[in-house]
Amino acid sequence: MGIDVTELFVVITVIAVALIFDFTNGFHDSANAMAGPVATGALKPRTAVILGAFLNLVGACLSTEVAKTISGGFFDDSLITVPIILAGLVGAIVWNLMTWLFGLPSSSSHALFGGLIGAVVVGAGIASVHGWVIVSKVLLPAIVAPLVAGMAAAWGTRLAYRITRKTPSVHSNTGFKYGQAFTASMVALAHGTSDGQKTMGVITLVLIAANLQASGTGPQLWVIIAAGIAIGLGTYSGGWRIMRTMGKGIVEIETPQGAASGAATSATILASAHLGFGLSTTHVSTGSILGSGVGRGAKVRWRLASRMVFAWLLTLPGAGLVGGLAALLADQGVFGVIALTVLLAGACVVIYVMSRRHKITHANVTDSHEVLVLAAATPPTTYADDPRLEAPPTGKPKKVKRPKAKSAA
Amino acid sequence: MHIDWAALGVVAVVSIVSSVIFTILLATGIRLVSVAKIKSNEGGSGVAIFSAAYLLLGIAGLLVLFGIYLIVPQFH
Repeated sequence: MGIDVTELFVVITVIAVALIFDFTNGFHDSANAMAGPVATGALKPRTAVILGAFLNLVGACLSTEVAKTISGGFFDDSLITVPIILAGLVGAIVWNLMTWLFGLPSSSSHALFGGLIGAVVVGAGIASVHGWVIVSKVLLPAIVAPLVAGMAAAWGTRLAYRITRKTPSVHSNTGFKYGQAFTASMVALAHGTSDGQKTMGVITLVLIAANLQASGTGPQLWVIIAAGIAIGLGTYSGGWRIMRTMGKGIVEIETPQGAASGAATSATILASAHLGFGLSTTHVSTGSILGSGVGRGAKVRWRLASRMVFAWLLTLPGAGLVGGLAALLADQGVFGVIALTVLLAGACVVIYVMSRRHKITHANVTDSHEVLVLAAATPPTTYADDPRLEAPPTGKPKKVKRPKAKSAA
Repeated sequence: MHIDWAALGVVAVVSIVSSVIFTILLATGIRLVSVAKIKSNEGGSGVAIFSAAYLLLGIAGLLVLFGIYLIVPQFH
C-alpha cells in the first residue's frame, strides 16, 4: 500500500475523533426521544436509555446509504480536506460538550456544519461560504421547527385532555404511557438512521481521501458497526443534563401531554425527513414539549426556552469559532494534529470535571428542573438538588415527610 | 434565496394533522377501554365498546407501523 506512516496516523486520529463526535451526538440527542417518557415515568431512566441505544444502533446499521456530501451546501465540496474535517469535528465536539454542561439541547448537525464552516473560512476565506444557505438551513428551520411541532403538540394535548376528561387517570395513564413508549422508540430509530449515517459519511470520506478506499464506494462494514456502536453508547450514557432540561426544565410533563408531544415529535420528524424540508430532531422535540405545555395551560419556563433558542442560534458560529481555531493547528502537519488532539482531550476533561460539580445521573434526573454549572459552588438549597442531603431515615418511615423546598441556608 | 416554502407548508400541515389524528385515536381508544372496563365491572357487557376501542387503538398502531416503514430505508 502506498501510504506513509504519518498519513496513516492522521487518518486513524480523524477516525477516532469522528467516533468521539458520534458518541457526543448520541448523548446529546438521547433526550430528544427519551426525555418525555423518563419525565412521566412511562419508561424508567435506565430502560429508556438502553432502548434508545439499541434502536439507535439498529437504525445506524439499517441506513447504509452513503452520505455523499457532508458540506450540506454551505460551501463547495472540493474545499473539504482531511485537516478541515478534523477541525470541524473538534469544533462540533467542543460545542456539544459545552451545551451539555449547561444542559442545553442543541442540534449536533448544526454543530458539525458550524465546525466545518469555521475551518473552511480559515482555509479559504469567508467568501467561500454560501450565506443564504445558512439562512434557509439554519435560521429559518430553527424558528419553524418549534412552531410546527409546538402547534401539533399543543392541539394534540388539548384534545387528549378533552377526550379523556372523564376517564379515571388509572385507566388513561397506562394507555398514554404505551403511546409515549412507542413514539419515543420511533424517534430513537429515526435518529439512528439519520445521524449514524453522518459519521459513516465522514469516515468514508477520510478513507477515500487517503486512497484506502475506492472513490464512490459505500461505507465498509466495520465503519457501519463502529459508528452504530459509538452512537448507541452515547445514547446509553444518557446525557442526563439535557434530559433534565427537556423533561423537567421547560415544563412539567404529565402523561397525556407526554403522549401528545411524542406523537407530534415523531410525526414532524418523519414529515420533515420525507417531504423535503429538513428540520433538526432537537428543535422539533424541544418545540413539541414546549407546545404540549402551552396546550395543557401549564407554567412554561419561557426564560429557559429563550435561552435555548439563543443557544441554537449560537451553535453555528460557536462551533465555527472553535472549528476555525482548530483549523489553524490542523493545517500544521502531523505535529499540529497531535497538538490539536491533546487540546481536545484537555477540553473534554475540563468540561467533564466541571460537570462533576453538579452531577446529574439516571438516579436524580427527574428530581429537579435545574442544571447548575457556575452556581453549583453555592450550597444546594433544596433536598431535591442534592441526593446527599436526603433526610436520614428515622424510626417511623411512614411519618417522615420529605421537605420539598426547605431552605437549608 | 432558495427557500422551499411549498415544502415547508406541506411539512407543517402533514405534521400537525397526522399527530393530531394519532392523538385523537389514542385518547378515544383509551377512553373507550376505560368505559368498557367500568361497564363490565358493573356486570354489563362491554364487548361492543371494547371492540370499538381496540379498533381505534389498532388504527393508531397501524400509524406507528407506517412510521417504521418510513424510517427503514430497506422498505422502500
